[in-house]
Formats: sequence, structure tokens, C-alpha cells
Amino acid sequence: MITATGITKNYQRGAESFAALKGVSLNINEGDFICLLGPSGAGKTTLLNILGCMDAPADGDLVIAGQKVVTSGRRQLTDAKLDRFRRKHIGFIFTDFFLIPSLTALENVEMPLLWSGKPNRERAKELLASVNMDHRLNHRPTELSGGEMQRVAIARALVNNPRILLADEPTGNLDTKTRDTILDLFDHLNQQGLTIVLATHDHEIAERVTQVVRLNEGRLEG
Amino acid sequence: MKLGVFAIKNLAQHKVRTILTLLSIVAAVAVLFTLLSFNQGYEAALKDQLQQMGVHIMAVPMGCPFESATLILKGGKIPAYLDMSVMEQIDQIDGIQIAAPSLMHGLIRPEEGRTDIFLGIDERMLTLKNWWKIKGSFFKKNNDIILGYNAALVELAEVGDQIYLPEYDKTFNVVGILESTGTQDDGFFYIPLATAQALFGQEHKITHIQIRVKDPAQADAIAGQLQNIDGLSVLTTAELMGTMLSLMGSAKTLIFSIVLIAIVISTLGVLNTVLMSVFERTREIGIMRATGAAKRHIFALIWLETLSLSLIGGTLGIVIALIGAGQIETVIKRFLPIAPQGSIVSLDPGNLLLCLAFILGIGVFAGLYPAYKAATANPIQTLRKE
Ligand SMILES: Nc1ncnc2c1ncn2[C@@H]1O[C@H](COP(=O)(O)OP(=O)(O)OP(=O)(O)O)[C@@H](O)[C@H]1O
Ligand SMILES: [Mg+2]
Repeated sequence: MITATGITKNYQRGAESFAALKGVSLNINEGDFICLLGPSGAGKTTLLNILGCMDAPADGDLVIAGQKVVTSGRRQLTDAKLDRFRRKHIGFIFTDFFLIPSLTALENVEMPLLWSGKPNRERAKELLASVNMDHRLNHRPTELSGGEMQRVAIARALVNNPRILLADEPTGNLDTKTRDTILDLFDHLNQQGLTIVLATHDHEIAERVTQVVRLNEGRLEG
Repeated sequence: MKLGVFAIKNLAQHKVRTILTLLSIVAAVAVLFTLLSFNQGYEAALKDQLQQMGVHIMAVPMGCPFESATLILKGGKIPAYLDMSVMEQIDQIDGIQIAAPSLMHGLIRPEEGRTDIFLGIDERMLTLKNWWKIKGSFFKKNNDIILGYNAALVELAEVGDQIYLPEYDKTFNVVGILESTGTQDDGFFYIPLATAQALFGQEHKITHIQIRVKDPAQADAIAGQLQNIDGLSVLTTAELMGTMLSLMGSAKTLIFSIVLIAIVISTLGVLNTVLMSVFERTREIGIMRATGAAKRHIFALIWLETLSLSLIGGTLGIVIALIGAGQIETVIKRFLPIAPQGSIVSLDPGNLLLCLAFILGIGVFAGLYPAYKAATANPIQTLRKE
């Protein structure tokens, strides 16, 4: 599903360049549920952004769903094509949920359909039902609990029917009980064939997930 | 949900700010629309009024005719006088229906802060101004007086009352009051011509002659003949209108500069509002990008927000201008050197379109930069944890 080879990424910190990823190679198969485990500053977010085509690596190759996205550090798709590709294949989930405050739960889930030009309220409702949020359709984010917000965010990430879900510390703001319901939901989605990459520094999560990849100081371990 | 609905929801998120920005657009567009309508209505109203005066030519003493004419129109005092004998010469010219002489004299009333204009007239004026309706009667004795509609209001006088002029120790009997004509005539005090000449020490003198010709098309030709009479300066109403319009010109320029500034300010206001909201929402914009939005989607969204803002404000402005046209007109009239009575505001679809174009202009122009800023912001940066 995803093949990353020799991915590097440097950040400019004032005058000096800082290597956040130092040659990461990773193969993710369709239907994998991978936990990207690493301490803070290891480069997890940086790697997810690159895998999600939101950011470009300095060097390396990236092939997603058979499409060459980056070859030897060079983008293979135009901006417009890359946007469409992202929209079709990749869903993102964040620690802080990142819902749009002016929109209701339903509208938040419907939003990504705006970008594909096919607004569809019914589809949004279905997805909210599938994450057990159909009782909160018209609530604003401020009227929802953390767990509820994250479930809305998951529905939003899935509304365009992507094959890959990238979750960056999705349970970082949730208590352990809520965390477990979210993880159960991930398991459930994974069983339906969704490929999931979950970045975290929480070892308890790593224990639940079968495939664990350890990242430390920009390098994969083991 | 459509993109437009999303844009409106974003605007509704900051109600106070949105309303304040809306108000600035409403004000600018309302003023613009009124002024455009006014500009067009003014000429028409002026023409109407001059036509309605039924006076085609005005003869005044030699001097600066334009200045004198303006003075007469504003009810001022004319410095020089004509001898009554010119009337005989005028009467010999063909094509004149009626020529009415008058002697104008202003009496300053400092304690009341006004000048009362006395006009010595005879029956010929009554013939000329055949639309006059007098409550009471025309002069019978030489100490009779007729009051213009407004003059009567100021004097609180009724037919049968007396008016005393302390300067001349003279008492007049009010025999008639003019019904409102909607012209300058309403403000004058009319007394018999001979009485005026004696009272103001101008025996056989007059200040101006108003003339109606049989065929208005001949007005210019007849004016040419009148011009040959010694000491006579002639002005046609057509020329008079030109003078007034040019007087108007400078006032109009001023008004339009003010509107232009108002429009620039409201455009900057919109720009500022949208830019602020873009800066506040960098993270939201990053989220949109992460959920699949392309740069053009972000650009379209922000632009739509700006357009909605200016369209809503502009439409409200036009509606308010339509409703409040009367009130705004009174305000404008105060700033005009010469304002015709009657409505000077004409509502024209062309003006409506021009205003809509202005509104769109504000929306399009003010939205460009913020939309560009939002579309090109780096989404990765905005999504980082604080
Ligand atoms: N825009 C940036 N400019 C400079 N340095 C950056 C930038 N983004 C990330 N870094 C640095 O790169 C390294 C990796 O960052 P990254 O956010 O990928 O770590 P992470 O594993 O996600 O950490 P956390 O668990 O705290 O989220 C860190 O040292 C970070 O300070
Ligand atoms: Mg991170």
C-alpha cells in the first residue's frame, strides 16, 4: 500500500539545518494496522505528514497505492493532482481533533465532500452513525466531549472513503476509557480493510497493536 | 452544505465584527446610490422648474447678467436699475406674449436674522404667472400687499391683517396670500409697482423684466433682439440653467470625492476584516487542506466570504437608500447652491447596476489579497501543536 525508501527531512533552525528524518524506509501493506512508536521529537508527525502527502521529503522514494508520489526527493505529481490523490486515498486524524468550530458535527463530516464537489448529507450521516455519533448530528464541537469530537473527526477522515488512515497521537487528549473505545473503533475499521498508521508515544497502545514500528531521533529501530 | 453556506457560517461566527463591516458598506453604498440618483434627477428637476416658471427670458440691467440672474434667483438685491421706458421698446418686439416688469428691494431685518424681499409688480405679473392662485384678491389700493405662501407663514399673517414697515412708517393691508407654488415666489412680499417705486425712492425704475414668448423655440432669436435695446442685458432660461449647473459642478465634485473616500475606506474595512479572520483561522485553513482542500478551494472560500459580505451590505445599502431617499435628499439640498423644489432624486435602473458593480468591485478587490494569503499558507506549520 505504502512503500517509503530512504526518506529524509531537514528543518531549518535559524542558520543550521536539523535532520528530523535520517533515511526512513518502511513498507506498509494493505490492511495493516501499524503503531509508529517513538518519544517526543522522534519525527513521528514529520513522517506522517510525508506519508500523507502534506509535506515533501528532502530525499527518498514514496509510492502509495501504486502511484509514484516522490522519486529521489522529487515530486511526481502536480499540485492539483496531488490534492486529488490525497483526498481520494488519505484520511488524517489529529490529537486536538481539529474540528471547525463554526460547523455542526454533521457539517464537519460533510466538509471534505465540498472539496470533491459532491456535498452529500446522507453520506455524512451514515458515517456519523458508524462511529455511534448519530445522536449528536447538530451539535457544535464546543458542545461535544473529547471522545465525541474524535469520533466526529474519524467520520470526517473517512467520508471520502480513503484506503489509508493516518492518526497522529489520536488519543493524546483522552482518558484511558475513551482512548480504548477509540482504539476499538480503529480495530473495527481495520477489520473492514482500512490501512491505519497510528503515531504515539504511549506504550500501552503499542501493546494492543500487533505491528509496532519504533522511531527514534529520525531513524527506525529494530 | 454548499461552499457559500460555509462562507456565511464563517461570517456568522464573528457577529459583531461582521455587522460593523456590513454597516460601513451599507453606508457607503447608500450614499453612493443616493448621489447617483440625485445627480440624474437634479438636471431633470431644474429643467422642469424653469419650464414651469413659464418665463423664457429674463432682462436685467447691463452688467454681469449671470451674476444678477443668480442674485434674483436667490432673492438678493440687484445693484442697478432699468428705466420703465424700456418696456415700450420691448413691447414693440414681435413674438412676445407678455413682459412683466418688477422692482425688487430687500429690507434687512437684523433682529430676525433675515431679509424680506419686496417685489413691486403690476397686473402683467399676474398674466405672466397665470398659475398663481391667490387667496383673497389682487391689489385694489396702493397700500395693498400680497404675501407669498412662506412669507405669510413667517409673518403669521392672514388676509385682512395689516403689516407695518417701521423704516418707512407705512402700513400695508394684506389683501391676498399666494398658495404654495413650490418656487422662490413663495418667499416674496408683493406690492403695487408704483408704490414700490415711490417707497424705495426709485421713481420710474425697475430691476428686472420677466418675459414669456409665444413660441419657446423663438426664445433665442427674441433674446437677440432684446439685446439690442440700450442698457439691457438678456438671459434665456436655457442659459440660466447652464449657469446653475456649473455652479452645481463644484458642489458635485466635492460630494463625489467624499463618496469616493467612503468607498475606499469601506473597501479597506472589508479587507481588514477578512484578513483578520484569515489570520485567526490559519489552523482551520490547515485542517481544510489536510482534509483534501486544494489551494483554489481555500481561495474560493475566502473570496466568497468577502463577496457575501459586500453583497449583503451593498444590497442593504441600496434598500436603505430607496427607503430613505426623501430624508437624504433634504440633507443634500442643504449643501447645494441652488436647489430646485420638488424631488431631485430619480431612481434609475442604470444607477442600480452601477452600484451593484461598485459592490462587486469592493468584494472582488478586498477579497483578493486575503484569499491569496489563506490559499498559500503552509498547512503543516499551522497544524503543529502550540
Ligand atoms: N517546522 C519545524 N522547524 C524546525 N524544526 C522542526 C519543525 N517541525 C519539527 N521540527 C523538529 O523536528 C523534530 C521532529 O518533530 P516531530 O514533530 O516530527 O516529532 P514528533 O515525534 O511528532 O514529536 P511529538 O511526539 O512531540 O509530537 C523535532 O525535534 C522538532 O523540534
Ligand atoms: Mg507529533
